[in-house]
Amino acid sequence: MLSIVVAEAREVQIPLLSAVLLAACAAKFARILRVGSLDAGLGPTALFPMGLRRPVALTICIAELCCGIGLLVTAGPLGRGDPADTVRIATAVLFLVATCALIELRTSHPETGCGCFGDFSTSPVSGRTVARSALLAAAALATIDMPPLHPPHGGAEAGRLLGILAAELVVLAALSPELGEGLVRLGYSEPCELRRLPAVRTLTALRRSSQWRRRAGLITADVPVDMWRELCWRFVVFPARAADREAEVVFAVYLRPHRPAIHAALVDAVTGEVLAWPELPARRAGPGWSTEVKPAKPALAPDRSRRPAPDLVGSGVLAAPTDPGRGIPAYRDPPAPRPDKDLPLYRVL
Amino acid sequence: MLEVRRDHRCCDRFAAAETAVRTSRRRLLKDAVFGPPDGAADDAVPGFAEPDELPRAITGTIRDISPHVLVIGNGDSDTRIALTAGATAWRGGPLDPAGVQPGDHAVVRLHRAQRGVADRIWANIGRVTGTIIERTAGWLLVDEGRTRPRQMVTIPRRSKGRIQVRFPNLEPGYLIDVIGLRRSEALEARIPGTSQPAYPVDRLPPPAMLAGRVPSAISGSATWHEPFQEPPGLLGALYPALDPEAGCAEDPVGGIPPRFAPMPYLAVGSRLLIRNDCTGSSRTLPVTGCAAISRLFNDRCVICGTSPRGRVADLTLASFVALGGELERGCFNATITIGR
Repeated sequence: MLSIVVAEAREVQIPLLSAVLLAACAAKFARILRVGSLDAGLGPTALFPMGLRRPVALTICIAELCCGIGLLVTAGPLGRGDPADTVRIATAVLFLVATCALIELRTSHPETGCGCFGDFSTSPVSGRTVARSALLAAAALATIDMPPLHPPHGGAEAGRLLGILAAELVVLAALSPELGEGLVRLGYSEPCELRRLPAVRTLTALRRSSQWRRRAGLITADVPVDMWRELCWRFVVFPARAADREAEVVFAVYLRPHRPAIHAALVDAVTGEVLAWPELPARRAGPGWSTEVKPAKPALAPDRSRRPAPDLVGSGVLAAPTDPGRGIPAYRDPPAPRPDKDLPLYRVL
Repeated sequence: MLEVRRDHRCCDRFAAAETAVRTSRRRLLKDAVFGPPDGAADDAVPGFAEPDELPRAITGTIRDISPHVLVIGNGDSDTRIALTAGATAWRGGPLDPAGVQPGDHAVVRLHRAQRGVADRIWANIGRVTGTIIERTAGWLLVDEGRTRPRQMVTIPRRSKGRIQVRFPNLEPGYLIDVIGLRRSEALEARIPGTSQPAYPVDRLPPPAMLAGRVPSAISGSATWHEPFQEPPGLLGALYPALDPEAGCAEDPVGGIPPRFAPMPYLAVGSRLLIRNDCTGSSRTLPVTGCAAISRLFNDRCVICGTSPRGRVADLTLASFVALGGELERGCFNATITIGR
């Protein structure tokens, strides 16, 4: 029984090796098409002087293609004997050389990816990558002097072949850093820390928010005096006047295009002391201001007193504390975005 | 022909006192919204390190030297430093401290336990990190970014082999990072600062994609740069991912700044807790500017193990020395924690 399983395992290696070689060649070819050059390659070509990289990369591609096709063509009765063994020995030599090159690459260029599957193989060469190459070399050696492949006799044999193939694929997947890279690309969502969001959109979202409406009565200028970004938050500072003191209102706006979480604080412009939000001035009527009379709200504590922990806020888990306050002058309608004004203002900063 | 640019300054460099005030204000305003940062780890303390707290590096010109005393001057002030048998020196190579000559520009690292005693001296050390833009038989012209002047590099015959092992492509378009002796017009390269990336700068591989939340602690390589329009003893770090919306002069107009590795966006004045993984020293330092060239490198620091990623911070000379880095080695394995 064991000898049967070993023989079937050897048979599985031919299509598997061929598929790996043709996939590697296709991935490298796709990279060449994307980059437009052979000499910007990854992997063992980095071991060679610049002038030799192009022919070496070309040789590797051609060798993979030839071995991949050759294994398929000579798998059956067509290549019985020496032609089949020649292709299989060549495949084994290719993987053995690749294993040695990867070991050398790991030592001399630890930051370089193996380039085995083009753009998918950008992570530095690891022990897994070397082990995978050695495993494929061993698989190629196991196919030497093997009789021609034949279709499986019956469902049991086909099932065993499929089982062996699946087991080997699992092992190869475990040894392939490219698999993780591929899965990341499939389900990629850019973290907010890396997300680019124009400042004008931050300003637009801020001017539409209830936080802005509640604090607008204190703000004395349209132009922010400072604006900067840190991780997932953009900070916008406006000059303000509170209880006859020069002050600044600082807004922290979460970097999300729609309905971002916003926090605010009032700071003394001279001492930097955090101030309590003052009682709001008498309601005024007129364009842009609410005419609805609401009971005045006592002096508000700074936002941080009811602020959730920064980590939770940063994760975007908690709701934005942007509920409009009572008795606070509020815009009847959110002000329209002003990209023509906001963008130049920010560039000045 | 040779064009050495000297008219650019970073839009938001931290050297000027005005910018330092604004940076301090940003920290205060951020704390007003979110509260002060949590307690720091290791030997780091909340708040930025002040030059007085890290007196381990003194930079200046050697005024006088004897077998036991070194006098180093900076402007009008002179400092006397004792030389002991344990002190070592470097000027293009290992050197007896008494071999340092008056007139040399030196960086002196003071003994950790004994103030006023020299631990190590680097004389006339310089570094050029950038993109080769011109090559002739005698020198290389290197672009270090739009905010720094272009640099000339000469490679003496005796150092050529050592440098070309790590930098096989000394051709325009490729990156270079060499450490050597600062001469009046050029840097005389002696040591490779890292290994050369295999790609030219106009064919940067696409950055790897990150999913989920970016970790607050990122390990990589911390390097140093020569001061240019920075006050002596400035403590801080250039960071490779400043917010592109800030319109930094290093960024291409209307384009996405090239980068090899994705890093979370920060601004000038953001806090970085930087830990030297080789010595355990750590300090909170402010981001003082953009590390435009560092973001093009995909090298690894191998001082104590291989760093898991490339350059995460480009420290000022004083910061690098204060955190226990050896200048001639070019880097140390570092972990930066953001937002502390």
